[in-house]
Amino acid sequence: MSGTYFALMAVLVVAAFILGAQRARGVRGDRAGMLHSLPAYHGLYIAAAVLTAMMAIFVVGAPLASHYVVSQGLGAFDPSEVAEQLHRDAALRDIQNLIAGIYQGEPSDKLKAAAAAYSSASSLVFWGLNILGVLAGAAVIFWGLGRITPELRARNQFERFVKYVLLACSGVAVLTTIGIVLSVVFEAMHFFSKVSPIDFLFGLQWSPQTAMRADQVGSSGAFGIVPLIAGTLLITVIAMLVAGPLGLFSAIYMAEYATPRIRSVVKPILEILAGIPTVVLGFFAALTVAPLIRGWGQSLGLDVASESALAAGLVMGMMIIPFVSSLSDDVINAVPQSLRDGSYAMGATKSETIKKVVLPAALPGIVSAFMLAISRAVGETMIVVMAAGLAANLTFNPLAAVTTVTVQIKTLLVGDQEFDSAKTLSAFALGLVLFFFTLALNYIALKIVQKYREQYD
Amino acid sequence: MTDTAISAAPRRASDNSALVAKRYRSERRFKLYGIAAIAVTAVFLVLLFADILVKGLPAFFEHRMTLPVSVSQEAIDPQNSKDPKVIRTGDFDGPIREAFRAMFPDVTSRGDRKKLLGLLSSGAADDFRAMVVNNPSLIGTDAKVPVLLSDDADQYLKGRQTGVEKIQGQGTIAASADGEKFKLMTDKTPVLTAGDIVRLNGGAFRVVSADNGAYVAEQVLAPKSLDPANAGAWDIVRFTVTEHNRRIDDQEALWLEQLKEKGVAENGVAWRFFSSGDSREPELAGIRGALTGSILTLLVTLFLCLPIGVAAAIYLEEFAPKNRLTQLIEVNINNLAAVPSIVFGLLGLAMFLNFFGLPRSAPLVGGLVLALLVLPTIIIASRAALRAVPPSIKEAALGVGASHQQAIFHHVLPLAMPGIMTGTIIGMAHALGETAPLLMIGMVAFIVDVPGGFTDAATALPIQIYLWSDLPEIAFQSKTAGAIIVLLVFLFVMNAAAILLRKRFERRW
Amino acid sequence: MKRFLLAASLLALTAGMAEARDQIRIVGSSTVYPFTTAVAEQFGKTSGMKTPVVESTGTGGGMKLFCAGIGADHPDFTNASRQIKKSEFEDCAKNGVTDIVEIKVGFDGLTVANSKAGPDLAFTKTQLFLGLAKEVPDKDGKLIANPYKTWKDVDPSLPDEKIEVLGPPPTSGTRDSFVELVMDKGAEGIDSLKALKKSDAKAFEKVWKSIREDGAYIDAGENDNLIVQKLEANPQAVGIFGYSFLEENQSKIKGANIDGKSPTYETIASGEYKVSRPLFVYGKKQHVGTIPGMVEFVKEYVSDKALGEDGYLANKGLVPLPGDEFKKTKAAAEAMETIKGDQLM
Repeated sequence: MSGTYFALMAVLVVAAFILGAQRARGVRGDRAGMLHSLPAYHGLYIAAAVLTAMMAIFVVGAPLASHYVVSQGLGAFDPSEVAEQLHRDAALRDIQNLIAGIYQGEPSDKLKAAAAAYSSASSLVFWGLNILGVLAGAAVIFWGLGRITPELRARNQFERFVKYVLLACSGVAVLTTIGIVLSVVFEAMHFFSKVSPIDFLFGLQWSPQTAMRADQVGSSGAFGIVPLIAGTLLITVIAMLVAGPLGLFSAIYMAEYATPRIRSVVKPILEILAGIPTVVLGFFAALTVAPLIRGWGQSLGLDVASESALAAGLVMGMMIIPFVSSLSDDVINAVPQSLRDGSYAMGATKSETIKKVVLPAALPGIVSAFMLAISRAVGETMIVVMAAGLAANLTFNPLAAVTTVTVQIKTLLVGDQEFDSAKTLSAFALGLVLFFFTLALNYIALKIVQKYREQYD
Repeated sequence: MTDTAISAAPRRASDNSALVAKRYRSERRFKLYGIAAIAVTAVFLVLLFADILVKGLPAFFEHRMTLPVSVSQEAIDPQNSKDPKVIRTGDFDGPIREAFRAMFPDVTSRGDRKKLLGLLSSGAADDFRAMVVNNPSLIGTDAKVPVLLSDDADQYLKGRQTGVEKIQGQGTIAASADGEKFKLMTDKTPVLTAGDIVRLNGGAFRVVSADNGAYVAEQVLAPKSLDPANAGAWDIVRFTVTEHNRRIDDQEALWLEQLKEKGVAENGVAWRFFSSGDSREPELAGIRGALTGSILTLLVTLFLCLPIGVAAAIYLEEFAPKNRLTQLIEVNINNLAAVPSIVFGLLGLAMFLNFFGLPRSAPLVGGLVLALLVLPTIIIASRAALRAVPPSIKEAALGVGASHQQAIFHHVLPLAMPGIMTGTIIGMAHALGETAPLLMIGMVAFIVDVPGGFTDAATALPIQIYLWSDLPEIAFQSKTAGAIIVLLVFLFVMNAAAILLRKRFERRW
Repeated sequence: MKRFLLAASLLALTAGMAEARDQIRIVGSSTVYPFTTAVAEQFGKTSGMKTPVVESTGTGGGMKLFCAGIGADHPDFTNASRQIKKSEFEDCAKNGVTDIVEIKVGFDGLTVANSKAGPDLAFTKTQLFLGLAKEVPDKDGKLIANPYKTWKDVDPSLPDEKIEVLGPPPTSGTRDSFVELVMDKGAEGIDSLKALKKSDAKAFEKVWKSIREDGAYIDAGENDNLIVQKLEANPQAVGIFGYSFLEENQSKIKGANIDGKSPTYETIASGEYKVSRPLFVYGKKQHVGTIPGMVEFVKEYVSDKALGEDGYLANKGLVPLPGDEFKKTKAAAEAMETIKGDQLM
């Protein structure tokens, strides 16, 4: 049903564009320059109007239509038979199967009647909606064509429309945030009614062992997130120590030294790193890197845990290299050649130019690349689950096992505990804390960028 | 900023040349850092790929036998209806078992026969069925049918259960019954140790204890006779892994050796890995369902997040008033990139499943969730790309009378496209490899049927990898690595597309 | 641009509406997942109906989904590595899920294993308790933080190796079972703790439920294959995981004897090897008749060819119920008998 409607809509939108542009040219006649806007904008203006109108009809009409069809189909049954959602669903499935000809067994008369009502209602709705839409579209075209005069500020009108569309799109990100906060906050509140927020935020011990059964008390469980935050920071720092220099130098080399050929090969190869599933990297970290580090550590007489923050951090650093390198490369590449030429003309070598001219000019972009990489490292789960373990040690020793906030969220959520236990609920509280923690981090970064940003051309 | 050049001027010439040399050295060093950084990353990638390739290549091969099977009318289509529906429900296992047993006429006891049939895959008849359904004229004839072996047998034949050493027998050997056990006598003294298997007269004996020239042995396969065998007519089979340390016991191993020696069991490309959906039998499991699911999901993601992401980036970079609210949105987008992906799963569950009532496990919902997940990445990258376009371009456009939007859409956006593409590819690659958010919306699931649309139940490649890696059967470990290889190939293709796009659009000022 | 978004979401809205399901949906424990999927595949192959979709969500998450209500939007079965809890049953009832069928499908043996390259191990439960508990009694019966560094410190008969145990995290049902089956019994084997149990049951419970957190016990995540491979790489370490992984990886690892019994298929099935837990599948009887294949699926699950002694589930490492209990379970399941809340804990 919707397919036809959208096809018709596409046809009408295109028609509106062509007719509008033509009419505008006609109005202009030979008095060139008298139109306020280009003819194409008149077309776009009408097309946008048609699109809006037909969309509105669909948004309102489609749910009403399907509601009508369903009620017609179910009308053939006794109301008591289809009082419950469960039976309604089953009856609808039977009706749809019967119409599609895949019904198993012999349909009852009632079912046949219902199917007949259902199919006649749906064809009625199909035609009704399509005809209504086409009529509305046509009406809008006529109205629009009538409005086309040389004075019509079609471009301004259309640009206002575009601006609202753009605004709506950036609203999606905000809505996502609101959605996330909403989907986490209630369960988190539930958790904080069981565990005091002070203990949660400043507790130095994380050990969510709570009672398994209502009649058992067991150990109370300690929910202090400091070790988790410390672990997250430790692993992120290690990862950035790897990804920062490697990524930035790769980017500089690709943008400034490499021939376009090499660059066009190396860059996508680096980008592959970002796409390797983290499960795979996790296996690599746990089974290849961790034993290596352990071996080296022991030969140096160090006590290395079989699951170390170092192994996880190194591999995670590798994973986020492309976030640094690719984005930095793009912004370095975009620094105007005139800046470089100016620097060369002053006698600077290439590396001096890069260090003192190009990098400062590209700084805002590089910082946002770094922030993205850090964000990704903080939010990463699987590598840490596999390579750094789940032991919540409060330590900054990279050779010890640590755990991160995300790992705990994941293990708590997919665990075997009842969903209302403090253990599982703490996952939501952790999510909330992580959210505000990174929010603060990003705010600081934004301030730094704003302070040091230099506008070049 | 460029003080080096100025400060160098008043120096003496000798100082100057030293300084120049130093500057050139630092120049070379700097370049070297870049090469080293790329080299380190490349080495890491090569290591990783080598690791995966070694583990994953066996997944693309399987062992099967080509058996002569009589396609019996009674078993398959007793009424001679020639109707594919009827043929499909026929008994295809029977003829295959019959044909396989015929390879080993000596195996008679019930227990042994059951064990022998255990070497066949539980889906051994699938190929046969497809063959006959496609070509009903085969019924009533004899046909050469490919028959799949079980995962354990396959692992054995791939040499992943134990190493096998075969030594030709020197001199004559004779076996004689000694109660339950047997006695092996040789005229020369071959080096037999406990655990060795001696094959003669179609049978096999496992040496229990060695006693110089006379060995006590137990029967593994019944011989045709106990006649002495001459040099060349018998051999010793030595397994490097002892029997209780592997899943294929000596008897089964010897049967498989016989199959291999007869040339019946052969190694072939496992096309089924690409053509079938998931299965709990490693030898039958394929990635087609997961691959289709991934493609459907990514299509939804791409169609949503590219336009929305670019539109949002344009708005924030060019049209948004510079105030606290915009700043908040900006911080908020950066922050979204750091939200653990599983939380997006929670959002998807609450919003798309519970509120909008969309179906569980559907690629549509997966795509929506992943689109929200990668949106920040794309917005940030697109904004960086837009910001990187020199303001002069825009100003020139404005100067000749273009409206703000015309300047952006006609001049700035095309120049920012390579950067936007980069961001999109990274974002899509991220979406392609993501598991955790799909958990909450029901895509971490065992789904046999290949999804046919956006609302069918489906899973995705990384989830298939995650699920397979958690199964006990050893054969699934190579399947896991095989699926990873496919995923990487997928990534390569996406990146190749990025290269082409970037080449078309990239510009430098 | 906007058009794409709207088109897609509206298409989805209309497509998602009023469409009932003809495919069984199962959620729940990752431990039962390998078995239920095998049944689902067989069911799909032999019944001519669509193969059920089996999700791996963890027992708790599965119960939450299962109990959310009746109707096509909610799953029909849930896998559980423990029995349904009273609170969950009440949650179910509150949402209208009142008729729940319980199928006890078999046992999962919990094994303590190490690398083939390591020493042979034989523990008693008390030794395991002493090695792993957070607090152990000293000579006078006073509780002190666990002082043992090597297994030899625990008992001279054990090897002189550092205590390093890779086991499931506290969120896992495997961990809960291990604690109940080994640590509880092990603690009872110590006189001073036995006395404590009589005088202060809660304090006793705290002792056996707390596993040490000083690095000797390592929460190793849920992926048992990973534990196996870590054990292979590190012969000193000992791992705790399900029996099916031991069976499949015989060439790399070996199971430790517990109280003189080695973990084998036979000892677990006969009940000699005590460290095993029951696995369950729960079904919604209210969906019978509205979701096709409900009864047939249950029948397939409890059929002899699946759950019987030589059934395909036994091949996958599930230890079946003893003969009599199996017959009872089978009869109850085929009749779709529902459970009552008052027997639950």
